[in-house]
Amino acid sequence: MQDTVVERVLKHPKYEELVKRRTRVSMIFFAVALVIYSGFILTLAYMPEVFAQPLGAGWTMSVGVFTGILVVLSAVIMISLYVYVSNKTFDPLLEEIVRDVE
Amino acid sequence: MKKLLLSTALLSMFAQPAFAATGQANTSAIVMFLVFIAGTMVITWWAARKTQTTSDFYTAGGGISGFQNGLAIAGDYISAASFLGIAGMVYVSGFDGIIYAIGFLFGWPVVMFLVAERLRNLGRFNFADVTAFRLEQTPMRVLAASASLLIIALYLIAQMVGAGKLIVLLFGLEYKISVIIIGTLMMIYVFFGGMTATTWVQIIKAVLMLAGGTLLAALVLMAFNWNPDVMLAEAVSVHPTGAELMAPGAAVSGNPLNALSLGLALAFGTAGLPHILMRFFTVSSAQEARKSVIWASSFIGYFYLLTFIIGFGAIALLVRHPEYFNLAADGSFDMLKDLVGGTNMAAVHLSNAVGGSLLLGFLAAVTFATIVAVVAGLALAGAAAIAHDLYANVIARGRSTEQQEMRISKISTLVLGVLAVLLGIIFEDQNVAFMVGLAFAIAASANFPVLVLSVSWRGCTTRGATIGGFLGLAFATIWVVLSKTVWVDVFGNAEPISPFPNPGIFSIPLAFAAIWFFSITDKSARADKERDAFTALTVRSQTGIGRSGAQEH
Repeated sequence: MQDTVVERVLKHPKYEELVKRRTRVSMIFFAVALVIYSGFILTLAYMPEVFAQPLGAGWTMSVGVFTGILVVLSAVIMISLYVYVSNKTFDPLLEEIVRDVE
Repeated sequence: MKKLLLSTALLSMFAQPAFAATGQANTSAIVMFLVFIAGTMVITWWAARKTQTTSDFYTAGGGISGFQNGLAIAGDYISAASFLGIAGMVYVSGFDGIIYAIGFLFGWPVVMFLVAERLRNLGRFNFADVTAFRLEQTPMRVLAASASLLIIALYLIAQMVGAGKLIVLLFGLEYKISVIIIGTLMMIYVFFGGMTATTWVQIIKAVLMLAGGTLLAALVLMAFNWNPDVMLAEAVSVHPTGAELMAPGAAVSGNPLNALSLGLALAFGTAGLPHILMRFFTVSSAQEARKSVIWASSFIGYFYLLTFIIGFGAIALLVRHPEYFNLAADGSFDMLKDLVGGTNMAAVHLSNAVGGSLLLGFLAAVTFATIVAVVAGLALAGAAAIAHDLYANVIARGRSTEQQEMRISKISTLVLGVLAVLLGIIFEDQNVAFMVGLAFAIAASANFPVLVLSVSWRGCTTRGATIGGFLGLAFATIWVVLSKTVWVDVFGNAEPISPFPNPGIFSIPLAFAAIWFFSITDKSARADKERDAFTALTVRSQTGIGRSGAQEH
């Protein structure tokens, strides 16, 4: 019984599209997160002087502290974007598959 | 229920003489603390009536919403260690404190993009259900349980010792008594209320913590006309290191490779922490799991921004209050070395400075609640590892009844509670700061690679996952034991054997490479079957068809 459900899902025309697109989207998001995070860590580890500069004349806040705040915000923004994409493109596909199979 | 009342009575009994003895006690803190305990006892009583099955016990019957779960995860994450610890780190070294916060936070994109939804679709109670989905039960469960129990033990020690010290300061209780109180409360929540009670305690605490943090940060900014840069300028002008406060400092300049290694463990460790992963089974579907992550990461990110303000604000403001420092004979003090209770108390003193004793009391009570709630979540994940993985699926090989498993998990809760208290007392005078780092390193080098590869790589086999997982676990543990933090600071040897304390940069790739190598060279018939089963796993992980959990009523 379980096997036939799996087979039916596999035969569904939208299933492969769902898996492919979703894998691609999560890989892109993961890559972007990795670039932002490792960029931040590598900069502070190997080019600390970049982060030590003040943000501009008259500022105490350094480039590093400001970047840190942006990096925190970027994590939340990336996750929100991912959820938005999932809700908009994957959930309808998924609903269709589940409806047809069950 | 009698027991509950008894322990509350015991609490107040213990409280009286100790308070008088140290004079640290703060009436509003004690009142709010008792109100919180009473409230959570009502919740536990309510939850106990709903906790009948193992599904109720481990995952609150899968009936928690994404928003509630997001709050609970945030609650687990914003532990006393990360709130007081990060504020304290910013207070001491400015920018370096921010690095830790960002590392902890970046675990969330990793969880979201790689594991969260698949986890919910594949598992039932804990992440070992997922790794054992197509791989062999016994080795996968033993691996998951060993790594999980080690992580939980390390985390428990860190929380218990940190908590004990904190309570000594905040409430003036004796160290041993405060450790026993934490252990007892935790056992009551988990034993009677299971995941339902643990989750609601965590949710309430998270809301209080977010509210308290917001108020504190707002009061700090108000003192500087709502201009953060004025606050930073003031901080730089009074701090002993001056403008270096704004730049990467001692935490990284000594050894950039160590910083990198730490960064890796922090970001990938979250996706391997058993008590965090377990929360994904309390929601009904992958969609709700997704919502949990967005709420959790938003709350955590927001809270860390508050923590930065609190840390820098503490530098700028505490220096105006000599009463928070242990003064030298001539009335002078070193703002880093002489803070009463150590620099981890920076946020607590700051709340007193800007909000008076009422805010201090509020934050103290919430901080205490935090520790109890986090410890309860850890105990629950430990009980699941013992009862669900080791007992039900390895020892009884799936032949145990639900009642038997439930009984074992309750016994495990009690044992873990007693163990936590004992460990807390044994490690009282040890420096336990490295323990959370080690817990993250093990999570990132044992649980994370096995979890990710078993759900996303067809070629992964039982042999590869077992060898790779145990190698990662062993390498990370041995490396830390041979590093300066344990080999020199704890065992008293002259020279460390590991060149730097954080193993992540070697242990994480090692685990991945070993899983890959021992999987592709696995030519057994079992391995072929496991590769074939990947198709069915993918169908389930992508669509959720056939998943277990919420529907079982």
